[in-house]
Amino acid sequence: MRYIAAFLLALLLPPAAQAQDATAKPETKGEYLARAGDCVACHSVADGKPFAGGLKMGSPLGAIYSTNITPGKETGIGLYSLDDFDKALRKGVARDGHRLYPAMPYPSYAKLSDEDVKALYDFFMKEVPAARQANLDPEIPKLLRWRWPLAVWNAMFTDKQGFTADPKHDAPWNRGAYLVQGLGHCGACHTPRGWAFQEKALDDSGTAFLAGANLDGWYAASLRQNLATGLGGWSAAEITEFLKTGHNVHGSAYGSMLDVVNNSTSYLTDEDLAAIGTYLKSLPADKTEPAYAYDASTATMLAGGHPPDPGAALYATTCQSCHRETGGGSPPFVAPLAGNPTVLTKDASSLINIVLNGSQPLVPLGVPEAYRMPQFRAQLTDQQIAEVVTFMRQAWGNKADPVTAKEVAELRKSTDPSSDQVVILRMR
Amino acid sequence: MPYIIQVNGKQHTADVESETPLLWVLRDTLNLKGTKFGCGAAQCGACTVHLGGQATRSCQIPVSVLGASNVTTIEAIGETPVGKRVQQAWLELDVAQCGYCQSGQIMSATALLTKIPNPTDQDINQAMNGNLCRCATYTRIRAAIKRAAELARA
Repeated sequence: MRYIAAFLLALLLPPAAQAQDATAKPETKGEYLARAGDCVACHSVADGKPFAGGLKMGSPLGAIYSTNITPGKETGIGLYSLDDFDKALRKGVARDGHRLYPAMPYPSYAKLSDEDVKALYDFFMKEVPAARQANLDPEIPKLLRWRWPLAVWNAMFTDKQGFTADPKHDAPWNRGAYLVQGLGHCGACHTPRGWAFQEKALDDSGTAFLAGANLDGWYAASLRQNLATGLGGWSAAEITEFLKTGHNVHGSAYGSMLDVVNNSTSYLTDEDLAAIGTYLKSLPADKTEPAYAYDASTATMLAGGHPPDPGAALYATTCQSCHRETGGGSPPFVAPLAGNPTVLTKDASSLINIVLNGSQPLVPLGVPEAYRMPQFRAQLTDQQIAEVVTFMRQAWGNKADPVTAKEVAELRKSTDPSSDQVVILRMR
Repeated sequence: MPYIIQVNGKQHTADVESETPLLWVLRDTLNLKGTKFGCGAAQCGACTVHLGGQATRSCQIPVSVLGASNVTTIEAIGETPVGKRVQQAWLELDVAQCGYCQSGQIMSATALLTKIPNPTDQDINQAMNGNLCRCATYTRIRAAIKRAAELARA
């Protein structure tokens, strides 16, 4: 009887309930490009209207807020012409002439083609619902709010010309380069910044490009071909898998990369993801380092049940049941620690941050996964986290520097516990 | 996709998604309900099973990584000499209060005694650290582990 009732109820439900599904693939070119640019991640807040802005972002001078880019005429960009939109997107100048802070990645978007700018303009003007939401003033002291120095900054640090295809490489490579340097604005997190907070390189002509950088308590790993700490051990197909699903045999997405997978890369076509893989595989290592080699003695020690030091003992009781005595985890769902670039990289911020705060859920194409790193902020002291992280960085053949309790204490202070709230920002 | 897995010495086929946790396969597909669901995040130990002899939280093991490893659950732990002694000690000392965590506790205790036949308090605290008991029967659990060790010496 209950089954019949459920069946009848299902017939009564409007099909619109299914159309709300976050797994919906982008329907127009503009919507697809907005996904590739991950505009929604910064121009929305959790539970807010898509693209209505309001996300608080730290800057060296004080906090600033992302703006309303819906086509509302009073509070959004409804009065923007294509030319106004283009100036904001590629030059960082708003319709009223004020210069945008480079938290807006216009130095990357400068690479966009005219055609893509037009498609994005059409999407924002015709497909995004207008939201009436006033922009918030930056929390920057009045005297430091002059924006004219940004003109000097732009002159020094941005490229004058857009993306030009490199005839020495094939079409997929060039497509990958266009997506990585342009809309993907991967360098905003993965490229180290210089004295004026400019990205040290905006394309593959500089060895600092995507060489790894620390941002807001996370270390965005090197995407160059460094053998141990970069993507040297990842095939192009594995990079594609990572961007599509948020994980692969080498590791899982965490920190702000989760927003990238959840809201952007999982929506891209296989061809575009493969192009990104091809391009990233072509970026040479920026330093020589030995390739990672597995050492089985740690697993034997852990399986034997007599951990010799506090770090190993903590690993055995808190980490081993998921990440296993082999340090191999259960890839692709539970990340391996043996040979994982995040564990091996010099700056241990991400590793400490994940142990302290756990990770947010991975929700590729709107479907949450069963596996998620829990937080140990309340269970472990700074000293214990330093010990267990140091153990992981030197076990199974991993070779990385020890971590101090002071580093853990600093990150504990500057990071907030992760909440259970899943941040899935929908486009519609 | 069908996965061929070895559970309690027998071969089973489970036609599930690759990311399905082992715990769901045990309880829902193979109808082995002795292993409990507690937190689903490897924080409580209620779902502990043995995977290739190691105590492992089955809620965090995707079925796709099992391969040929043998899974032992509470249903078959009495067939091993150590497991049989742990169960006997559990009964003698009447360890369980509500009993929800008991299956996981016995699996962790058996794994410990297999590795370390005469564990110290420190060994026990460390090995049992990930198994929570809301009734707080920890002193009886520790006593039962020592009793099982004693039974082996007798």
